[in-house]
Amino acid sequence: MYDFGVKTPKSVDEVKTALGDSDDGQYLAGGQTLIPVLKQRLAMPSDLISLARVDGLSGIEAGGDSITIKAMTTHADVAANADIQSAIPALAKLAGGIGDPHVRNRGTMGGSVANNDPAADYPAAVLGLGATVVTTEREIEADNFFTGMFETALDEGELITEIRYPIPEAAGYIKFPNPATRYALVAVMAAKFGNTVRVAVTGAGPCVFRVPEMEQALTGNFSPDSVKDGMVPADDLNNDIHASRDYRAHLIGVLARRAVAEANG
Amino acid sequence: MPAITVRVNGLEVTKEVGARTLLSTFIREEMKLTGTHVGCDTSQCGACVVTINGKTVKSCATFAWEADGADIGTIEGLGDAENMHPMQEAFREHHGLQCGFCTPGMVMTAVNLVENNPDIDEDGIKHGLEGNICRCTGYQNIIDAVKTGAKAMRG
Amino acid sequence: MSTFVARNGIGESQRRVEDFRFLTGKGQYIDDVNLENQAYAMVLRSPEAHADIKSIDASEALALDGVLLVVTGEDWKAAGYGTIPTKSGVRKFKDGSDLKEPPHHAIAIDRVRYVGQPVALVVAESLDACRDALELIEVDYDSLPSVTHQSEAIKDGAPQIWDDIPNNICLDFELGDEEAQKKAFEDADQIITLELVNNRVTATPIEPRGAVADYDAETGKFTLWNASQNIHANRDTIADAVLKIGKENLHHIAPDVGGGFGGKNGVYQEPILILHAAREIKRPVKWINDRAESFLSDTHGRDQVSTVQLALDNDGTFRGLRTETVGNLGAFCGTVGPFTPTGGSSRTQGGPFRFDAIYYTAIAPFTNTCPLDPYRGAGRPEGSYQMDRIIDYAAAKLGMDPIELRRKNLIPESDLPMKSPMGLDIDCGNFPAVFEKTIEISDRAGFAKRKEASEAKGLKRGFGVCMYLECTGGGPKEEAKVVFRDDGKVELSVGTASTGMGHETVFAQLLAGHLGIDMDDIEFHQSDTDATDIGGGHGGSRGLEVGGSAVTQTSREIIEVGKKIAAHRFDVGADQVEFEEGRFHVPGTNHTMTISDAIDSQNDPDSLPDDLEPGCMNISTVFERGIISIPNGGHACEVEVDPDTGTIKVDGYWVVDDFGTIVNKMLADGQVMGGIAQGLGQALMENIVYDESGQLVTGSLMDYALPRADDMPRMVIDYYEDAPTQKNLLGVKGAGEAGCVGAPPAIVNAVCDALKEFGVHHIDMPLTPERVWRAIQDAKAEG
Repeated sequence: MYDFGVKTPKSVDEVKTALGDSDDGQYLAGGQTLIPVLKQRLAMPSDLISLARVDGLSGIEAGGDSITIKAMTTHADVAANADIQSAIPALAKLAGGIGDPHVRNRGTMGGSVANNDPAADYPAAVLGLGATVVTTEREIEADNFFTGMFETALDEGELITEIRYPIPEAAGYIKFPNPATRYALVAVMAAKFGNTVRVAVTGAGPCVFRVPEMEQALTGNFSPDSVKDGMVPADDLNNDIHASRDYRAHLIGVLARRAVAEANG
Repeated sequence: MPAITVRVNGLEVTKEVGARTLLSTFIREEMKLTGTHVGCDTSQCGACVVTINGKTVKSCATFAWEADGADIGTIEGLGDAENMHPMQEAFREHHGLQCGFCTPGMVMTAVNLVENNPDIDEDGIKHGLEGNICRCTGYQNIIDAVKTGAKAMRG
Repeated sequence: MSTFVARNGIGESQRRVEDFRFLTGKGQYIDDVNLENQAYAMVLRSPEAHADIKSIDASEALALDGVLLVVTGEDWKAAGYGTIPTKSGVRKFKDGSDLKEPPHHAIAIDRVRYVGQPVALVVAESLDACRDALELIEVDYDSLPSVTHQSEAIKDGAPQIWDDIPNNICLDFELGDEEAQKKAFEDADQIITLELVNNRVTATPIEPRGAVADYDAETGKFTLWNASQNIHANRDTIADAVLKIGKENLHHIAPDVGGGFGGKNGVYQEPILILHAAREIKRPVKWINDRAESFLSDTHGRDQVSTVQLALDNDGTFRGLRTETVGNLGAFCGTVGPFTPTGGSSRTQGGPFRFDAIYYTAIAPFTNTCPLDPYRGAGRPEGSYQMDRIIDYAAAKLGMDPIELRRKNLIPESDLPMKSPMGLDIDCGNFPAVFEKTIEISDRAGFAKRKEASEAKGLKRGFGVCMYLECTGGGPKEEAKVVFRDDGKVELSVGTASTGMGHETVFAQLLAGHLGIDMDDIEFHQSDTDATDIGGGHGGSRGLEVGGSAVTQTSREIIEVGKKIAAHRFDVGADQVEFEEGRFHVPGTNHTMTISDAIDSQNDPDSLPDDLEPGCMNISTVFERGIISIPNGGHACEVEVDPDTGTIKVDGYWVVDDFGTIVNKMLADGQVMGGIAQGLGQALMENIVYDESGQLVTGSLMDYALPRADDMPRMVIDYYEDAPTQKNLLGVKGAGEAGCVGAPPAIVNAVCDALKEFGVHHIDMPLTPERVWRAIQDAKAEG
C-alpha cells in the first residue's frame, strides 16, 4: 500500500467537507474490494474517507410497494432481513451469495453498486428490479445508473445514500459462480411487475445489461419456455480464462430460464 | 492517526496505529497474537478470520482503525491447551486439521456459524465454510468436527 | 494427563499431540519467527518471460530512507557463488550422454528466463520501505522470444532458452522393452490410442514460503529458519554447493510448516539470498512470500502431454502398453525436476495389470515458465491417469464394461511376488481383493435408482473407478534418536519433516507403544540439523515407512540395552530377560524391573554391567530401506453432471487402500482424504495458465481455484490390511500421496461414463463446466 490519510466523518455534511479537504480522496465503505486493491498498490488515494461512522447510512425500511436499503447496509444484513426475505426473496438470496460469510459481514450494498464491478451481484439487483439510486444530490433510475465497466452516473464526490427497490410480483436470481471468487461468471435477475418484465445480466459483459428480447417474450408469457437460446449474441460478451463469450452467451439463456422458474416458484 | 482503543479477547488496549496497518498486522505484531495467520493477499483463504463485535471478518481486508471501539475475538481468546473450547476439542477429536495453518480461521468461523445457527446442518456448514480454504484435510473431518462441536455447544 | 499406548503403538487412532498447539493459536510458523533487530527483504521479480538484462540501476532505491541493501546478479557474480544443482535420479540421455543442466543461480545473471525469476533483493527496515524501493529499481530489459508449451519448445526453430541446449531438451528417457512392446502390439487384436494432457498445477500450501536468516560474525556461523520440507539435504546444497561456507557453518531449522505437498521440498533462491544479505548487513533478515509471488515462484507440478496406446485382444486381454510423454521442466532443472516426467512417471506404468510388454519414453524440455519440481505424487499421478484413462477409453471404444475389463486383467495374487515389466519389485498385495472390495463398498446396487433420480432432474449420473499402483520414494535412510532426560522427559528426534501429517503424534505413539512409556512425556524434534545428523525430510510418502521404522529400530535397541541392565540387576543372562508392556522380567521368577527403573539406572555406573557406559539407553539408530514399497488401491466415484451448464458435482467417493499395516487409521484417513481433494482440484478446477507472451494468467487465488468444502463429496475410506510388506520394520506402504494418484482418473472416468450417451469419451483436465459443455456440443455436432 501507498500511504494515505484517514478521515472518519460522522455526517453526510462532514463527508463533503472531508472530500473537499482531500487532494484525491476516496470513499471507503466495507473495503472488501478496495482494501485488496490498495494492498496491491493498484490505487493511490491521498485520503480514505471512511463512511462507516456516518449517521443514517445504515438500515432497511420496508414500505408498501418498495424496500429501501441504506447504502452502508452489509450484505449479511440484507440476506438476513425478514422483510426482504418475504417481499423480494431473490434479493435476499443474491446478497446471501456474495463472496463468503466474512465478506458479507463487511461488504456493503452501496460500495458494491458504486464500484460497478462487471462480475458483481448487486448491479443485477438494481437493474433487474428497476431500483432507484438515491444519492446526496439526486435520484437516479437504475437504467441510467450503470454506464460502463466500473463506471456509473455518479459525479465526483456524489455519494449513494440509499437504494429503493420496488417489490416485484415475482423475481428470481440465478448465479453461475466463478469457482475461485464466487463472483458471477454469469448471473441473471428476472423480475415481473404486472405487465412489465425486467431481465438483467451481470458477469457476462463489461457492464450489467438488460435483455429486451427476453423481456418482451416474457411479458407475453412469464415462463421459462419463452426464453430462447441466442437472444443475447456472444459478440460483445466477456472472453477470458474463466469463460469464453460463447459459453457465457449460452449460460445467459440457461440461467434466465432458471431465474424465471425460480420466480414462478 | 489518533490512537485506537479496542478490546482484544476481552482485554482493553489503546495503541497508535498507522493508516495502512491492517487488522491482521495489528493483531499479530502489536498484540503479539500470532494465531491469526495470513495466507493470501486477495481475501480468499480465510486463515486471518477473527471476529469484530461477534461477526467474522477477514482481518487482512480490514484496517485496524476501522475496528476502533470494537470487541475483537481471536483464536487465543477461545481456549487454551488445558481448557479448550468444545469446537477446538471437536476439531482434535475428528482430525479436522493437519498443518494447522488454516485452523484458527476455520475454528473461529465454525464457532460463529454455530452461535448464529445452533442446529446447522451439513449443507449449512459447507456453505458457511465457503470463505475458508483448507489444503490438507479434504474438509470432511472439518465438517464432522463442526457437527460435533455444535452438539457440544448446544450442551 | 497420561496417554498409554498398547500393541507397540500400532493400530490406535491416537489423537494428535500437535493439535493442542495448532488449535489454540500457539503454532510457530515461519512468519511467527522474529529476531531482534531484524531487517526485512523482498524480491524484485522478472516481469519478462525471456529477456537480456541490459542494466540494473538501484541508486534511487538505495537512497530511500530505511533501505539497507540491494542485491543483484552483479553482486552474485562478484561473490563467486555456486549454482543450485539438480539431484534428479535420472541423469543420462538414452544415448548415455549427460543430462543438460544449465547454471541455476539464486538470482538472475544477465538474462531472465521466466516471469517471477528473482532479479534483485531489497533489504530495508520495514516491508513498506522494501515495497517503495522495489518500485525505484530500474531494470532495462531487452525482450527475447519466449516459449511456454513443451510441444512448441522442442520444435526446430523454437526460441532457445539456453544457447547450448538444442531444441531445449534437458533429457530424454526410456524404460521397458520396445521390441517386446512392438511384438505385443503386432499380436494384439486392437490398438487404442489416446492423447492426454496432465495439467500444470501448483501445491498451494496455505502458508506461503518464507525464511529468516541470521549470521554470527564472530563465529562465522549462519542460522536459517526456513519453511522447508527438506532441511538436511537443502542445508548441504545451500552451504556447500552455493554459498561455499561449509555445511557445519549452517544451522538449518524448519519451524511448524503450514503444508508442503512437495512445493516446499526443493532448494529455493530466496533463503540463499537472505543468508547472503544477513552476512552483508550483519543483521538478521526476514523474508515472507506473498500469495501472488507464491504463484509466480513456488515450483509447479505435473504438466505432461502424452500419447498412450493400449494393445488388447478382442476378449479384453491386455497385451501391450506404450506411453510417450513430453514433460515441461520450466526454465531450470528443479531440485529433482527432471526425474518426474522421466523416471517418476515410468515405474508404475501398467498399474496392477498384466501385460506382455510395456514401453515408456519421455522427453523433458525447458520452457520459459517457473521450474517444475515434485508435487504430491510427482510422476505417479500422471502414470495412473494414463493407465486408468486408457482402460475406460478403450472400453468405451470397444463396447466393453470398464469394470470387467479391469477385473479380467488384474495381476492375480498368485503371481506375487513379481518384478513388473518396469522393474518394480511387487512383493505383496492382493489386487483382485482390493478391487472387489472397492466395488462392494461403492453401493453399485443403489446406482440405478440414483441415476433415475438424477435423470428426473435433467442430470446425468456416472460411475468411475481407478485401480492404482504406486511406489514410494524419497531418501532411503532415516535417523531416530532418543534421549532420556533427568527431568523424566524423553526427547525423540527424527530426521523426517511433518508439514501436517502428524509425525509428532505417530512417532511418539510408536516409541511409547514399544517402550511402554507415557506418550505425554515425549518431546518431539524434527527438521533441525542440530537435532539429528542425517534427515531425509518429507517426500515420496516416506515418513512412516522410513522414519517410523527408524523409531521402531531405536526402540528395539533401547529394549536390548534395558535387558542387559535388568540382567545385571537380577544376575541372570540377558537372553533370560523378556520385555513386555514396559517391564523387564525373568520368566519363572518374580524379578521385574520397569523401563523407568532401567532408565533411572542408565546413568549410575554401579547399576550397569561392564560393557555399558552411562547414558547407554540414549540411542540413535539409522534405518535404511532396501527397496521402496508398493501401495495400491481402488478408487470409485459417482458424479452428477448438468448437461445444460457442464457443472459437475462429485456425489460419492469410495476408496480401498492397501497401505500394509495401518498404524493410525485416523491419520491415514486424513492423508487419503486430503489427497483426494487435491486430485479433485486437479481434475475439475486447478490449472496454471501462461499466455503466449509467457505471462502467468492464473496468478492469484482469484484465478486459480482451489476446492472448498462444498466441492467435496462424502468419502468412505477403507483398507486392505492382509498384505503387510517385509520391506520395512512396520509392514507399511507409504500413504501420503495415494489419494491424488487415484482421484483424477476416477473422477474423469465417472464424468465420461455420465456423458457416454452423448458420445463423449474424453475431456482434458481440468474438467471445467465450459469444457464439459463444449465436449457435449462437439459430440452432438459430430452426431
